Amino acid sequence: MKKTAGTNKVKKRPLPEIIILAFASIITAVPLYYVFINAFKKPEFIQLEPYFMRPEQFTFNNIARAFTAMKYPEAFFNNLLLLVISSVLMILIGSMAGFAIAIVKSKLLNAYYIVSVLVITVPFQIVMVPLIMIMKKTFLINNYIGVSLVYVAVSLPMVIFLYTGFMRSLPRELSEAAIVDGCNLMKSYYYVYMPLMKTVTGTVLIIKGTFIWNDFLIPLITISKSSMTPLTLRLYGFASVRYNSWDLIFGGTLLCSIPVVILFLSLQKYFIRGVVAGAVKG
Amino acid sequence: MRKKPSYRDRWEIEGLIFALPSFLVLLVFIIIPIILNLRYCLTNYDGIRAEFDFIGLENFISIFQSDSFVVILMNTFQLSLIYVVGLNVLAIILAALIVRVSARFGNFVKSLLFFPCLLSMVVVGFIWRLIYNYNSGLINVTANKLGLEFLIQEWLGDKALILPSVGVSIIWFALGYYLIIYYAGFMAIPVELYEAADVEGASPVKQFFKVTLPMLAPSITINVVLSTVAILAAFDLPYVLTAGGGPGYYGSTLAIEIYRYAYNSIQQGKAFALSVILAFISIVIALIELRLFLKREEVN
Repeated sequence: MKKTAGTNKVKKRPLPEIIILAFASIITAVPLYYVFINAFKKPEFIQLEPYFMRPEQFTFNNIARAFTAMKYPEAFFNNLLLLVISSVLMILIGSMAGFAIAIVKSKLLNAYYIVSVLVITVPFQIVMVPLIMIMKKTFLINNYIGVSLVYVAVSLPMVIFLYTGFMRSLPRELSEAAIVDGCNLMKSYYYVYMPLMKTVTGTVLIIKGTFIWNDFLIPLITISKSSMTPLTLRLYGFASVRYNSWDLIFGGTLLCSIPVVILFLSLQKYFIRGVVAGAVKG
Repeated sequence: MRKKPSYRDRWEIEGLIFALPSFLVLLVFIIIPIILNLRYCLTNYDGIRAEFDFIGLENFISIFQSDSFVVILMNTFQLSLIYVVGLNVLAIILAALIVRVSARFGNFVKSLLFFPCLLSMVVVGFIWRLIYNYNSGLINVTANKLGLEFLIQEWLGDKALILPSVGVSIIWFALGYYLIIYYAGFMAIPVELYEAADVEGASPVKQFFKVTLPMLAPSITINVVLSTVAILAAFDLPYVLTAGGGPGYYGSTLAIEIYRYAYNSIQQGKAFALSVILAFISIVIALIELRLFLKREEVN
């Protein structure tokens, strides 16, 4: 309110806008609130009174039971392993490809860029069935390297697109200077470009990291060994084995989401900026 | 430009080597499977037996002849239409409103609406399954208390309601992400354009259609294409929410049906053929949208 109307053309307290946005916020928040209170509510009350929780209905039991039933530490470690292997691989080979496409003038690389962008519009389902057949024959099923490579492959078109866009936005003088200095491509990638890639790598990590952490379909078809399954598959198991065991489902829901939520709450600005940076390049 | 040809040539070879690892991954995990799929859809290959025969379009014909195909195809279109239109219109409107409020409140709304994007589709599916629950779900209980009888429905059981219900839950999930992208688009519009429009006395509504929308066209193009491609292939949330495409096949989509053919009923041939149909639809629609929007961008 300190700014006078004259300094800012747009009024900063327009009532109708605030009301509509508040309404949208409530609609978004209600389901979240719903999960949260039900995760801490005694099972017999979950279906009875959906909105409120009285103090005597409070319990940690849902979360504790879900924690044991889904063998949380084991599942968490599985998620982490898949996330780390696939992120490292996709960032490394994706940034190298994006770098080469943006810096080196080559018809072959251009064609490669066009093909990989086209792949973005291809649904995973046309790859899925033959891919699983190949993986079964090559023992890549139930193998974290194999599953991670699937994540790398389905993410690469977007990752290459983001890195290429980013590298192209950098001044050309950077690569010209590298030529004059007699740098080879490896050196200029490593010493000149790599330190600049932080923002775009953050974007890739945020977009693809949440996707990998939360994904359901790929582990569903590539991991059948129960000790190797990630969180989402174990959570889904609560619905198919014991239908309507809402206490386990809500406890498990909270447990699955909490790592990403903590990360988001502590790095909120970077998340939003990361998404924006990715979009502006597009 | 040919000052240092030797460097340029060496760089080209090095550049190809740089792109090679990603190319190999794409080749083995994406391109070869697609080629195999295009080949297998014309055979009776089942993934187990070594020998298989060419059977022409038989897989496609048996899909077209099945009762479920038209229903599932229309479901997929209906869900895509609800999602793409609902999502993009809502995201643009909300982003336009956020631009007009204080930065603090705007950031709060952005963060809150982005929050569902962090959740797994399995989680989102479960949340909405309870919200839509007939006896104890949030919607029906609230409607009952407020005396709004017409709102008490079998949200996931009624043939006419199931896809809109699924659509709403996916929009709830994805809205924040698209909102942020549109918001960035809004912020990139130069203020001078609005000042000029003000001088000419254009109303806010006219400004929105004559200044804002054309300037937003690049964001709209990419968001519409990406959201279309995403919803056509969406599996996780519809699958969890409808408990595998039910009731019957009335909540099913092409993506769910491909999974069912491949892994539940072991009809690999139909899975191959149906995935070719889905890919064809996805690519054609994406190209049409690109042409349409890019043309509009040029006109403007």
